[in-house]
Amino acid sequence: MNINSRFNDFFFARERPFGLALARICLSLVLLSVMVPRWSHARELFSADGAAAPLSVNYGMPDFLPVPSGTVAVAMASVLIFTLLTSALGWCTRLSLLLSFGLYSYLNMLDCLGTLTKYSVIASHGLLILSLSNCGAIWSVDALLSRRSVGRQNDRRLLMPYEPSGSVYGDVWPRRIMQFLIGLIYLGAAFTKMHTPAFFSSDQMRQWMLTNVNNANPIGEWLAGYPETLVVAAYVTIVWEVVFIFLAWSGYGRPLMIALGVFFHLGTTLLLGLYIFPLVCFSLYLAFLEESDVQRLAAWFRRLARRGNRAAIALRNAVPRIDGRLPEISLPQARGAFAFAALLLVFGGVELEYQLDPFGARRAEGAYELVEIDAESVGQMLRPSEPIRDEDKFLSFEIGTDLLGDVVVNRRKEFRHGDTLVAQAVLNPPHEDMWVECNLLDADGHVIDEVGQIVERSKLRASWAYEMKASLTPGEYWLVIRVRGRNLTRQSFTLLADE
Amino acid sequence: MKRWLAVATIVTYLGVLCFGVASHALGFRQASHPGMYFIVWDMFCGWSGYEGRVHIIGQGESGRFYQVAPAPWKQLKPFGDLERQHYDPFVNHAHTIALNTLRNTQHEPMRKIMVIEETWAKKFNLPDSLWSQRYTEEKQPYSYFHLRKEYSPDGTLLTNNQSWFDYQDHLCLSDNPRLWRDSRKGKPVYQLPTIATASHETPASANHATWATPR
Repeated sequence: MNINSRFNDFFFARERPFGLALARICLSLVLLSVMVPRWSHARELFSADGAAAPLSVNYGMPDFLPVPSGTVAVAMASVLIFTLLTSALGWCTRLSLLLSFGLYSYLNMLDCLGTLTKYSVIASHGLLILSLSNCGAIWSVDALLSRRSVGRQNDRRLLMPYEPSGSVYGDVWPRRIMQFLIGLIYLGAAFTKMHTPAFFSSDQMRQWMLTNVNNANPIGEWLAGYPETLVVAAYVTIVWEVVFIFLAWSGYGRPLMIALGVFFHLGTTLLLGLYIFPLVCFSLYLAFLEESDVQRLAAWFRRLARRGNRAAIALRNAVPRIDGRLPEISLPQARGAFAFAALLLVFGGVELEYQLDPFGARRAEGAYELVEIDAESVGQMLRPSEPIRDEDKFLSFEIGTDLLGDVVVNRRKEFRHGDTLVAQAVLNPPHEDMWVECNLLDADGHVIDEVGQIVERSKLRASWAYEMKASLTPGEYWLVIRVRGRNLTRQSFTLLADE
Repeated sequence: MKRWLAVATIVTYLGVLCFGVASHALGFRQASHPGMYFIVWDMFCGWSGYEGRVHIIGQGESGRFYQVAPAPWKQLKPFGDLERQHYDPFVNHAHTIALNTLRNTQHEPMRKIMVIEETWAKKFNLPDSLWSQRYTEEKQPYSYFHLRKEYSPDGTLLTNNQSWFDYQDHLCLSDNPRLWRDSRKGKPVYQLPTIATASHETPASANHATWATPR
């Protein structure tokens, strides 16, 4: 096989777009969940009548994109809601996806504070690729209407077409470039991590687990106390991200890479409080669904129905039921209805937003008044900027028996003679070059040992190792971190008596 | 789609994606254009040990202070529990938010708008139960405040200070008397502008740092 034929097989094989159809439905529904809450704030987020925050300002190009007026922004947001819905339904699918791509990308670029994030970018790519595909050929209103037009409205097999029917087949290349997109995203993310040494030392993800800028993440806050897990996870993650684009195509690599991806993104939900990013990625993962996978699933489904499974039978009968409820209209009429519905939604959306009066400009009691802040609070805020307190420069102080990836492991409070105790202070950047002491005190506060070291401004760890020698009598002890003559933090441990 | 058009689309699209990955890997012009945001995959490219918030406060002619953000109407909390202005780490859009609030509310004439950064160590975000497991000392959250920018009521920038992080960075660096002396060597105590410097509004080098005053 020469390169040309391999290229043709890889990019131009014919297939039924099961994976992309599911991706179309899922991605559109996810983006609906993002844009519907923002619709009523469209004037504030996306228009010159509000507080648009164009991304291009951060790049020093404030006039890169025109910022629309409030009414136009609301109209665009209304059309976007409509086209995301029709994309999910598969009604005038290609037009819906193209409009969704254009409007979603444009509106996102107008609000880099509350709308645009990397999941928006990934979703934009997904919408673009879907608009180039024939993902609307199956599991869509377009497909139902198309069947009617060729007189096959009672052909239930077209729900799960396992026979070639011509019109639902298309080239595989849109699904291929979506697969490449996912692989290159992970490869780019791997380069980001390679540029961030703190990712491998656990500092970066540990701090991200402590932030409150995303949704609540109590599991992440708990796991931040076990940074050794983050060190191991960091190396697993980067290996997975680098090899994904090479292994995710076929064989055992495909399910393994996808499973690790699902695990990784679920981890971001539980540990970092990210909800939408994983859902966008899961939607695009459906591009890895092959026809054979769907055929196996269909065969299993048919076996269930034959065995009398009620859910399977209900689902099998659903399509003709839905089909029977759709009005008898032709394809041109359906397109006309699409345009009419879009116009109706634009005017309706603009009028509804006017009635909602988000800024309260037309309230009976007049415009809102500003909330006054007491002068004392403002005085606190306007006090001269001060250097960071020494106690805030320390993230943690822990004791254990060993180091893994330069973090303390096997944290303990009890030791015996002969054990090695490792004490480690973890610092936050920025800090100056510091002299940090770790002093050993007995239960009565008497200093037994004083050990100091220089912690350079580039370092985030200071570790001390203590041998539990026989000269130390069993009992309770304290290790105290001391900077500039002040005790900042301490940990206790017990030296157990020999048995 | 015609075959040649499909091939052109494939090659162009994958080429653009590969350019983005290469640009990011090699650090080449990755922030040169807003479009690069769509092909550079730098998720979680940074981190900090401190949590930040942005306060936008207006001072009226009477001397009283008002909360300009969040605005008094129902606000969007885009990604969690925080209002939109807190997701502006470079404080490039605070004045836009402020002007929108002032435009749509009743208030006395404003004297100025202040943008203040509030920062605290992230460890204080831990719930009390986890704090008591990890620390022996009492949890006493402490916030740092830093005046970042001041605007006139029409949005004209009056004061532009470096960010709190840059300020702290410079404090750490300037905590080095030898370095401070070296930076001043060879510079006259007082220098008149030359014909060359007088004719340019900004220095030739883009690396003129604004050093924090050593305390």
